[in-house]
Amino acid sequence: MKYALISLLISGIRLWGGNQQPLLEPAEFNVNSRYTVESVELSREIETRISHGLRQDIQELIGEKLNPAALNDLAKRIRSELHVRDVTQKVLRGNVPDHVKVVLDIAGRKNEWDLSVPKVVYHSTQGFSGAVEGTAILGNNRITAGLVSDGDDLAERYAGVRARYENRKVGSDRLRLRFEFASYHEQWNRSTLDALGKDASVPGIYRNRQDFSPVATIVLAKPLTLSFGADFQRFDTQFPAAHTQSANAAITTLRYERRLEGWGADQQELEASYSLRAATKALNSDFAYTRHRWHTRYSITRGKHTVSDEAQAGVIIGQAPLFERFTLGNSTLLRGWNKYDLDPLGGSRVAHNSVDYRYGMVDVFYDAGAIWDPGQDAILRHSVGVGLRKSSFMVAMAFPIKEGRASPIFMVGMNY
Amino acid sequence: MQQVTRRWWLMASFGAPFTLGLSASALRVRLDGDDLRVAAPQFRFLTGKPLEKLKDGATVVFLTQLSISTEVNAPAIKRAVDRFVVSYDLWEEKFSVMENGADRARVSHLSSTAAEAWCLDRLAVGIGGLAPDKPFWVRLELRAEDARDQAGVLDDAGINLTRLIEIFSSPARAQQMRWEQVAGPMRLMDLKRESRSARSG
Repeated sequence: MKYALISLLISGIRLWGGNQQPLLEPAEFNVNSRYTVESVELSREIETRISHGLRQDIQELIGEKLNPAALNDLAKRIRSELHVRDVTQKVLRGNVPDHVKVVLDIAGRKNEWDLSVPKVVYHSTQGFSGAVEGTAILGNNRITAGLVSDGDDLAERYAGVRARYENRKVGSDRLRLRFEFASYHEQWNRSTLDALGKDASVPGIYRNRQDFSPVATIVLAKPLTLSFGADFQRFDTQFPAAHTQSANAAITTLRYERRLEGWGADQQELEASYSLRAATKALNSDFAYTRHRWHTRYSITRGKHTVSDEAQAGVIIGQAPLFERFTLGNSTLLRGWNKYDLDPLGGSRVAHNSVDYRYGMVDVFYDAGAIWDPGQDAILRHSVGVGLRKSSFMVAMAFPIKEGRASPIFMVGMNY
Repeated sequence: MQQVTRRWWLMASFGAPFTLGLSASALRVRLDGDDLRVAAPQFRFLTGKPLEKLKDGATVVFLTQLSISTEVNAPAIKRAVDRFVVSYDLWEEKFSVMENGADRARVSHLSSTAAEAWCLDRLAVGIGGLAPDKPFWVRLELRAEDARDQAGVLDDAGINLTRLIEIFSSPARAQQMRWEQVAGPMRLMDLKRESRSARSG
């Protein structure tokens, strides 16, 4: 019996062995796969910007046999995280025989031309808003010029040209410099004009506005940046008499932006910023005010599920021109409400929170916010909506939650 | 003895590149059993960008098609397609090639010319049904595989021939490296018959 079992076992093993197919080479066989990875060199831009998890996965290549498929996969992840067109991979001889070095860098960033659409949205009550920009990238320098017509962000519709020069590495990766120039022509909604006639505390409308803004950004620590500079705005006021005014401000923004990982497959992103604009007579400004804005955004993604929460608050102290005033009821804030019904002049106080849940392409959201001026009651308003989002494209229908008839607002666009 | 004149030198100087160019584009066509095979010693594709990529340790995939047509620009009446994965050994400075055909043949330790010759040597198009006295043209096409064409080229059974034929039926992409050689008209009855064993031996 014992011998029978042993012979059965042996014949079973032989049968199993006989059924095995010879191991096939991988379809994209690379002769260097037999070499061991000695080191992985990342360009400074990749090194400083990729997530901790991705950096760890890259480090895990070291000491292993070269795996081109794994390398391709990591390059794809870098591309996706950094939103770059391509990542070059070079495999070089290592310092030790039969070892190789892997070098990863961002491709095609030295000199290139890029045309982008930073925003395009149709809002059923505010019409179309959009911007198109062309950027020439020359090493660390970026020169951008573009056209914009935006009736979404502010109480006004501003249309015109804007240009920007940016140096992303002034001596060091930690220092960036940016000069922006814009020239706009303004259009005003009838509701805004009517409201202005009743409220003398808000400065009047203007026909044209020019903006020049030099800003330096310092990377304090990897996720934390500090921007500071000045913003010179000049505009042609129409009432009570046509004349040119300026609102010149010192500006600063402290921003924290981090991708957090560590809970299994979860991906978390956290952004927080505080910005201050202080217009002062010292900068030859006709207006003196301070504008504070706080903003946070947190999102967590697991598989196809993403939940995000975005909150912001703002305060203006002093009398600020209309373009500085906060608005709610557009394509991103208190969606479903019409900003001209809520507060056609905008407000000097704002608080807003938005919760989005996304499953695959389906996006549902709940917005709540209030906008007011000193001496007024802050009325909290709510809205809900549903949409489809694919990459940067979104189509959504939002409903204000209020008594009486609530007309939905339809929005469709990209990057808004 | 013929005198070497200035005119002769001029003709030789201007004519040489032309003659060399013609000979460089010549495909050597031969019969091997029921197959037609080609050799093209001057047909160099491990050069330029593909070579740079190989020396950066990457693989470069080449798609090939050997076809027979009755006219120089007529649709192919017979064809054979294949896919070759080439890599360059960084330490040994030699090329390695793997054919994605049914037998997944692989060679290594080759010089660039030997690797190119090996790829061409693997191509064979059947001549069954081709009249011995009927003239025909032979076209050799080779493209560096574009990443956008990769989908569907490989399946569990190996390469998907239908997908490869589809790729060659459409024009190459603007940035895609491509090479082409045409020979003809020729007739089967005029071709030299040579067996693989005789060549290898």
